Amino acid sequence: MNRLRRWTIKHCAMARTLACSVLTATSLTGLTSVLLLGCSEPQHSTSSGMGGLMGETQTGFTEVVPKRVFRFPNDHLAHNDYRQEWWYLTANLTTETGIEVGLQWTQFRVALSAQPPSSTSNWASNQLYMAHSAITTQTQHFAEERWSRGHTQLAAVTPSPLKIQLDNWQWLSQGEDLFPASLNIASDKVNYRLQLSTQAPYQLQGDGGYSVKSANAEVASYYYSQPFIDVTGQVMLDGELVNVAGQAWLDREWSSQFLTKQQQGWDWFALRLDDGSTLMLFQLRGDDKEASSNHFYSGRRMYADGSGETITSDEIQMSPTTWHDIDGKPHPVEWQVRIDNQAIDLHISPLNPNAKMPLSITYWEGPISITGSHTGAGYMELTGY
Amino acid sequence: MSNPLFRGSNICLQVFLAHYRQSPLQAGAIIVGIILAVTLLTGVRATNENAINSYSSATELLSQQAKWLITPAAQQKSLDEQRYIELRGLGINQSLAVVQGWVTDDNQQRWQLQGSDIIAAISALRTADDAASQGSPFAAFSLPLARIIAGEPLVLMSQSAAQSLAKKHLVLSGSTLEVVPVDDSFNLGNRLLVDISLAQQLLDKPGQLSYIAIFSDISHQQSAIEQWLTTEGNLSESDNGDSMKALTNSFHLNLTAMSLLAFIVGLFIAYNGVRYSLLKRKRLIIQLQQQGIMKLAIMTALGSELLLLVLVGSLVGFILGLQLSYWLQPMVSVTLEQLYGANILPGIWRWQWLAQATLLTLAAALLACSSLFVELLRQPLAQSSGQFSQQKNAHRAQKWQMISALTLALIALIFMPISQDYRITMGLLGLVVLAIPLSLPWLLVRLINAIAAISPKGLMGYQIAETKELIPPLSLAMMAMLLALTANISMNSLVGSFEVTLKQWLNARLHADLYLRPPKNQMAELQHLLSQDKQVTGIYKQWLTKTTSQHSPIFLLTRDRYSIENTTVIKAANGASNDQLWQRYFDAANTSTPQVIVSEPFAIKQKLNVGDSITVDALGNIQLIIAAIYYDYGNPYGEVIIPPALWHQAKLNTEPLSIAITYSGDFDAYGLVLQQKFALPESLIYSQARIKAQAIEMFKRTFSITQVLNTLTLLVAAIGLFSACYMLTQARMAPIARLYTLGVNRQQLTVMVTTQMLLMVLLTCLVALPTGAILGYLLIHKVTLQAFGWSIAMVWDWQAYFDVVVLALVASALAVALPLYRQTRRPLISSLQSDVL
Repeated sequence: MNRLRRWTIKHCAMARTLACSVLTATSLTGLTSVLLLGCSEPQHSTSSGMGGLMGETQTGFTEVVPKRVFRFPNDHLAHNDYRQEWWYLTANLTTETGIEVGLQWTQFRVALSAQPPSSTSNWASNQLYMAHSAITTQTQHFAEERWSRGHTQLAAVTPSPLKIQLDNWQWLSQGEDLFPASLNIASDKVNYRLQLSTQAPYQLQGDGGYSVKSANAEVASYYYSQPFIDVTGQVMLDGELVNVAGQAWLDREWSSQFLTKQQQGWDWFALRLDDGSTLMLFQLRGDDKEASSNHFYSGRRMYADGSGETITSDEIQMSPTTWHDIDGKPHPVEWQVRIDNQAIDLHISPLNPNAKMPLSITYWEGPISITGSHTGAGYMELTGY
Repeated sequence: MSNPLFRGSNICLQVFLAHYRQSPLQAGAIIVGIILAVTLLTGVRATNENAINSYSSATELLSQQAKWLITPAAQQKSLDEQRYIELRGLGINQSLAVVQGWVTDDNQQRWQLQGSDIIAAISALRTADDAASQGSPFAAFSLPLARIIAGEPLVLMSQSAAQSLAKKHLVLSGSTLEVVPVDDSFNLGNRLLVDISLAQQLLDKPGQLSYIAIFSDISHQQSAIEQWLTTEGNLSESDNGDSMKALTNSFHLNLTAMSLLAFIVGLFIAYNGVRYSLLKRKRLIIQLQQQGIMKLAIMTALGSELLLLVLVGSLVGFILGLQLSYWLQPMVSVTLEQLYGANILPGIWRWQWLAQATLLTLAAALLACSSLFVELLRQPLAQSSGQFSQQKNAHRAQKWQMISALTLALIALIFMPISQDYRITMGLLGLVVLAIPLSLPWLLVRLINAIAAISPKGLMGYQIAETKELIPPLSLAMMAMLLALTANISMNSLVGSFEVTLKQWLNARLHADLYLRPPKNQMAELQHLLSQDKQVTGIYKQWLTKTTSQHSPIFLLTRDRYSIENTTVIKAANGASNDQLWQRYFDAANTSTPQVIVSEPFAIKQKLNVGDSITVDALGNIQLIIAAIYYDYGNPYGEVIIPPALWHQAKLNTEPLSIAITYSGDFDAYGLVLQQKFALPESLIYSQARIKAQAIEMFKRTFSITQVLNTLTLLVAAIGLFSACYMLTQARMAPIARLYTLGVNRQQLTVMVTTQMLLMVLLTCLVALPTGAILGYLLIHKVTLQAFGWSIAMVWDWQAYFDVVVLALVASALAVALPLYRQTRRPLISSLQSDVL
């Protein structure tokens, strides 16, 4: 879930400096940033930039408040009255010959305005969809992107059976629930077909699904996950479809504002430990000029039976140990993570340190391996670098 | 470069500079000539290149250039939008749905409206730019994307088009649209862009698309996509404007030829100026040589002087040329848009044009002046500028010019009948254009000799004898004038002839009182209503579809039998009589070898004759025999008319596209009734008179740009004549003063000098008469026929001829009068001295 926010953060800052943004290409880029970042206030001041793109009305979206009751399968569908939302899958898979492969698929939804269109045209929409997909191996990393307006046949999330679709990229469930499902991604560089199933209950992050994103609880999102997904399928590697199998993780998150103005980016981790538990962990980085105390942390240790413990900001210690330059910018690709009350002390290192997504918004996202108090694998997302 | 040479040419340059400071007019004449030449050259070049560039770089609006296109099948007007959705479902996500059409605003102005999936357009653009596009140059602009894709009434217009609107909104199809200006660099031109959600509503095309643009290379999937499309659409590779370029080729060539003509006329002026200034400096140069300056140094100085003049003239001409193109472009755009449906983008210009124009001018100037320089070099130091040797030189030159003229004319004469390609014909025409002025001095001498033979003796005799002496110094200006006059006369006769032909053709072609083109869904109802009305004495129908034949776009159409028989103006047919032709034509419709009739432009472009067979894509592989070729004017597309039986057999559109009626009574009033009853826009209901007026208006537009250029050329020539006459009269101050001292009074002198000049101009106009006719004949019967495929009967326009003659006379009269007037205000002695100085 958090991944989206992470991108947002950095771009928010960028959006502000680039206020005079540009018509075409940038406007989409800008759009994304805004959408994902949720830095709503500053946009007003940059009248020619983001504000214009996003539509004049920033208000009118439903706010994220505590104690919301989640209802499934309805909450798997789009919440069009919130500004942004995503369906986010990462998978750590292995081929029959033992090659490790990381896969990502995300479908983002951004509401351009809180009001549904008054036009009767089937093309008219206040929703914009973007999807990303990626394949990462030790030596290769490919990413693709799709855009579309909300349109029942082009880009939509529809029930019975549940379908999350943008063009020919499609998550198709067998019924109303997210699982079991198939996920088909076909494009020039990224191609895979997965069968996804799970027996585990959904995990509500934060306080019953209310996930705070800043120390003063100024911003928050609704966030639930499915960290225990079994995957089989085929992936196109070097022009050939090969069979793969492994584990995947799904995040669902929606909000009307993800980040505060001061937040610069995030580092998010989906970790599968060898004791059968999983750990979600994120850091939201505050303004560089201020001390690290300004960073905000959150996490949750989760078990396949549906139980888990939410970990608070002051219980988490994490710091980068290795920085890797991509396109002249340093990215913290190795981390040390300590959570004492969970007896966790982990070293995290990437499968491929060059797993940067060169899309409308750029961020680092790739599979990682875990050593230390536990071993295991998972996914890491770094934004705002 | 050796030191004395350098110093010598340096001194020479300083002396020349002082000379020009004394008589700025001489330098002025040269520069004016160069400026005019380069202005017209650059102006037309910018206009042409911009238009051609527009075709090839045409991108989808707000997006990138399409590599492939899916267009509706021949029988259909539109694509179902499901094709687009399916296409993206197939993974061809780099594609764009477009719906387009024409709309009329509340001021009755027609706009081309395009609606596209704006999100797809912009995201394709992003892919094209690839990632790091954040530094994109199109700043200060943002789209209210939220409102656009919500289908709100917003219309995007180019900045310049938006500025030309009085209001900040447009009223289209009854809805008020807010105008959002976008930077001109997005190449919207005069088109309106809206989101597809709004466009389908404004154009009343719900669920329909005009075409789908595909940005990715799908050549490896071509057959799969064709299979999926089946008969619902055509997949074709984008030709990057090649077909538009082919269509407009002759138009642009026409412009280029005109600009080259103007360039030559301008160079004549410049050459004349150089010649005159050298003449005036002859004595000075001899003196310089006598002072010990090397000939090479003098030549270097003269060369540098020419270079400098060319540089200055080219630069100014270049700037003026860009301005000229700025004025011409709207005119060209209108023509191209109306005639060919091409969209012209805002102008661009290149520094290379300046470099090329400068080099061309310099080369032409050096070539032209080299003989003068060489002459100067050979001139013995002791030679006085004797009249006799000058005359002898002139005689020799005239003879050579005449021989060259005859040679050029001979070449043209031999190859002209063979040439089938309008480009070659145009080149041969260029030879004729060169030959005409070259023959002028020789002809003028002969003409004046003839006059001298019959003129009385005395002062009059002297006057005429002296006129002959004036021929060499004036001949260049006269040549330029002749060229401009000839071009103007020929162009006028072309346009005039065209109009007459067109009117006659329209009279034959239009037989009904009212022509209606109701929307498809009202056609049946309208037909029913018309058939009920007793005053409607005849209903005629036309079916039309756009398709291709022999790889070029054509209109395939049919009409009812009466209309075909009575409104087709046959050029060539395969039968003794028209009755026979039509009998066979309609009878063959149901046989295995149906007959068609084709338009003249189509036949000429495809080199087809009666009896040949063709295939038309919409009809499949059926071999169609050409039974006849008919005249068709102003239609850039080829036309093929098939019998109605064949049309219906091929299951092309069943509803006619338009119908025409004859009506007994006040058909204008009836037209209004129909217009109101069916809520038809004015543009869809025409009376015969209105069609004629519009057609003629449109054809005038086709030629408006050439006529403007022609007038400009004539003006350039008039300026040249003016400057030549002015300089010559100045040079003749001394002989005139001598005559005055001999007792000829001022009035007689004025009359004498003026009539001499006017005589020359009149004789030139006289020569221009047959040459203009020849050129006009060639333009009409060769170039226009081959380039546009229009047969035109030549009509001579005396009025136009006299107009240009008067212009020439006025220019020269003014040119003579000014120096004469100044002379009367100067002391006699200074005029007498002018010869010496």
